[in-house]
Amino acid sequence: MKPSVKSILLGSACAVAALSFAHSAQAWTLQQAAAPYKGETVTVVGLDRPSYKAAQKLTPEFEKETGIHVKWVIYPYENTLKAETLNFVSHSGQFDAILSDVVWPVDFTKANWVTPIKDFMANKDLADPDIDIKDFFPVWRHAFTIKGELVGLPFDSYAGLLYYNKKILKEHGFSSPPTTWDQLLTVYAPKMYDPSKNLYPYALQSARGETQTADSFTRFLWPWGGRYFDAATKKITLDSPDAIKGEAFRQKLIKFGPKGIIADDHSQVVQLMGQGQVAMVTEWSAFYPTLIASKAGPDIGVTTEPAGPKGQYSAFGGFAYMVSAQVPKKTQDATWLFIQWLTSKSMAKPLLENGAVVARASADTDSALQAKFPYLAPMVTTWEHGSVPDWRPQIACYPYFSELVSEYGSDIETGQYTVPAGMKKLTGKLQHYMNSTGCWNSVNVPKH
Amino acid sequence: MTDPTSPEVRLPRLRKWEPWFFVGPSLILLLAVGLYPTIFVAYFSFHSWTMGMGPPVFSGFENYVETLTSSDFIDSLLRTFIFLIVTLPIELFLGLSIALALDQTRNAWLRRLVQILLVVPIATTPSVVGMLVQLMFNTQLGVVNYGLHVLGIGPVDWLGNAHAALGMVMMTQIWEWTPFVALVLSASLATVPQDIEEAITLETESFWARLRYIKLPFLRPGLVASIVFQTIFTIKTFDMIYSIEKGGPGDATQMIALHIERIAFRGFDVGLASAESVLTLIVTIVLAQSVVTFLYKDEV
Amino acid sequence: MGKQRILSLFHGLFLAFIALIIIFPFYWMIASSLKTENQIFQLPPVWLFKPHFASYAAAIVNDNILRALLNSVIVTVGAVVLGVAVGAPAAYGLARYKFRGSAQIQFWYVTNWMLIPVVVLIPFYLLAADLRMIDNPIMLILIYQTFVVPLVVWLLVDQFKAVPIALEEAALLDGMSKFGIFLRITLPLTIPGITVAAILAGIFAWNDLLYAFILTPGTDARTAPTVMMSYLGGYIIPWGRVMASAVMITGPVVIGGIAIHKYIARGLTLGAVK
Repeated sequence: MKPSVKSILLGSACAVAALSFAHSAQAWTLQQAAAPYKGETVTVVGLDRPSYKAAQKLTPEFEKETGIHVKWVIYPYENTLKAETLNFVSHSGQFDAILSDVVWPVDFTKANWVTPIKDFMANKDLADPDIDIKDFFPVWRHAFTIKGELVGLPFDSYAGLLYYNKKILKEHGFSSPPTTWDQLLTVYAPKMYDPSKNLYPYALQSARGETQTADSFTRFLWPWGGRYFDAATKKITLDSPDAIKGEAFRQKLIKFGPKGIIADDHSQVVQLMGQGQVAMVTEWSAFYPTLIASKAGPDIGVTTEPAGPKGQYSAFGGFAYMVSAQVPKKTQDATWLFIQWLTSKSMAKPLLENGAVVARASADTDSALQAKFPYLAPMVTTWEHGSVPDWRPQIACYPYFSELVSEYGSDIETGQYTVPAGMKKLTGKLQHYMNSTGCWNSVNVPKH
Repeated sequence: MTDPTSPEVRLPRLRKWEPWFFVGPSLILLLAVGLYPTIFVAYFSFHSWTMGMGPPVFSGFENYVETLTSSDFIDSLLRTFIFLIVTLPIELFLGLSIALALDQTRNAWLRRLVQILLVVPIATTPSVVGMLVQLMFNTQLGVVNYGLHVLGIGPVDWLGNAHAALGMVMMTQIWEWTPFVALVLSASLATVPQDIEEAITLETESFWARLRYIKLPFLRPGLVASIVFQTIFTIKTFDMIYSIEKGGPGDATQMIALHIERIAFRGFDVGLASAESVLTLIVTIVLAQSVVTFLYKDEV
Repeated sequence: MGKQRILSLFHGLFLAFIALIIIFPFYWMIASSLKTENQIFQLPPVWLFKPHFASYAAAIVNDNILRALLNSVIVTVGAVVLGVAVGAPAAYGLARYKFRGSAQIQFWYVTNWMLIPVVVLIPFYLLAADLRMIDNPIMLILIYQTFVVPLVVWLLVDQFKAVPIALEEAALLDGMSKFGIFLRITLPLTIPGITVAAILAGIFAWNDLLYAFILTPGTDARTAPTVMMSYLGGYIIPWGRVMASAVMITGPVVIGGIAIHKYIARGLTLGAVK
């Protein structure tokens, strides 16, 4: 008997309905998404820091699940940008997953060296529906949003924190750490300064290079109301009274520090703290494990950085992963799958437990993890209330800009220039540099 | 470079191309490897090109003008000169002293020891030396300041004070290269013919007379070689200073090689860096040439 | 005689002082490589302590130092062999022949030598990238010729001049070819000089940092000094590991240098003709 048209239609409708149900019930899995890319090799840029070590440790999980081989290339921080830039300029296709410091995204996106994230997010086969971008802290999303678009997935994220030696503080009559810089300088510092006993209240890492710019100079700029520039008027504003006030404060503060601190980098300052010679340091959250393991470890407490007269602006730094636009599409897709996996919500906890620092709110605000890692709570507070995404300028010519800041910043710190004279000179140099390179056209002013 | 005091000794040339047979391979190799970067650098010195900010654009002498009017380049160059002018004479004086001391007959085992040890600083990787210096000269935690403390001298801020840092870098350079000078001069002294030495010992007891009239002519090629080598090495110095403090504090120890590295790899300004290196190359060549000419000017 | 004794004393003190200045940093390096991290920074310094080899283990395991050392050996030996193979004949040609262009050629060699690595890095890198030769040791071997060949030529020209011409003339009369003379008469007589040139060139090639760092950045291909550079950029400088690596990096070169120290005097006789 011939089936009626109606029954055929009904049957087809049912079949289609059944099929579509089956399709949507079949959730996105990494394994499925990676199937076409089995056998691909993805080269990832990393640093010699705990987060990347943790990532490398967990990478075999990804490889097993996807059949994609991941090759890590480790660079010293100071040379990462050099290596990546040379790679792009020469089209050598050396790297697939590009590591971007929070100050480099303008560089990479302006020259179209990286593929926009949205391209991958729009691809149903590649995009994990569970990616939950909003789970990244707002300050991190904004830091990597250029011209309104997210350009990287945050990984290895830091906040500046105040580490203090509870024992030393107690011995000098303090039961809690300072909450403002003024307090630290006027109340705490004088009591704990005793060079004859090799005891200093505070040490500021100031070594030439990015340390001087980020850790020393910028730290004493924002909390006093100083700003690097006004993008609208294209003027460098480091010679403003607020900026000068901030850096002048720094000069007063380092008088209480050990001699020679100007040349000390993270390594030396952490050593000093670990040996019990210094009572307080403001260092990156990433140093928590090292400090805890040092000689003074059991006495070390951690909290948010002190606030300045014009607000709380803690040191802000970190990285994100992007996909190179100069490698074949297939490799790009495989790379996307990797960085998506690495920065996913589900990987945040295992990474944390292996020593990494990630900007996933779900993991960082987990009470069990916070209890286990005491630095998480102040870090979260800092990101939520005490950081701005463009704490360091987001401009295409940041590297040399930073070099100039680093040079004059340390010259001011050693006293080679008075603060007003030095700031004026630096302003002039930066203004000339920004003007002559046309960098003003690509300044990124992220949401705060 | 060929020493004018030695007699020109030549073999009859049977075929015209003979010398080229010998010299050829090295020439081809160096032309292939060395010519490309030299031309590249010369070419881009006339272009405006910052990596990542657009393609190269011809800009004539703009880079040269900016280099010569920028205080940073001039400062770094001057600093490198001061570095050279201070370290070179000390290296020569110390090196000569060591060489003369080794030429004596006393204290044989000590001489053997020093002779062996002279190779050590030259062989040491400069970046390793820099790291060692960073460790030993740290103001708070370094062993050098501890030593000074024991002698009653207050802590010197080696790494934090601009002048002390420059001094420290100079001392390190002298430590690294004086042995080389000592070796070269020691070898030169070894070429003084035995019979002349014996003859003059009978003539005069004066150490200085012996030094001046007999040994000096034999020392001269070694001295010239040392000066030229040291000039080149010093201007190229990078690794050691970089690993101590990257040119800091401020720019107290920023020599020309470090300065160019910043322009090239922080500013990514290939055009400007190229112009600066062309200028530096010219200065180096002029320096080396004038040294050779000056020291041989009384020869035919 | 009293005067001689005093002179000997001063002589001895001077040499002892020199020896001490050279040895002390080395002692410090080796000692630090055997201390724990806390001991390294302890003041007063710890002079007697139990050696602790964890730093070496860490350097080998963490930083792949053995592979880096192997790469250094490959590159250094390759560069020296090529440089001497090409430079020795060149030095001979310059020593024995007077021809047009010889001064210019020498000038070109020295100019090569004066190229500041930092600058030529960019063109070399771009070239290597184009030829897909990043992380390839051959690239380094070739680039090192810019300083190996000039050094070899400089040192050997006078060595060859010092060989008595009579020997060569005699061989010529016997009907030997020019190259034959070079190979069988001149070269054997200048082995000490060639050895010195080779070792000196080897030292410079081994110690090169900048070229190696940019052109062989990969963890598998990199050379030993670049491991030192990578320590600089870490957040924490693991001083124990740094010193352990330093010992392993400088060890071979220093030992090599000491082994030939006897030849150095003979090999560095510049412009001296007996």
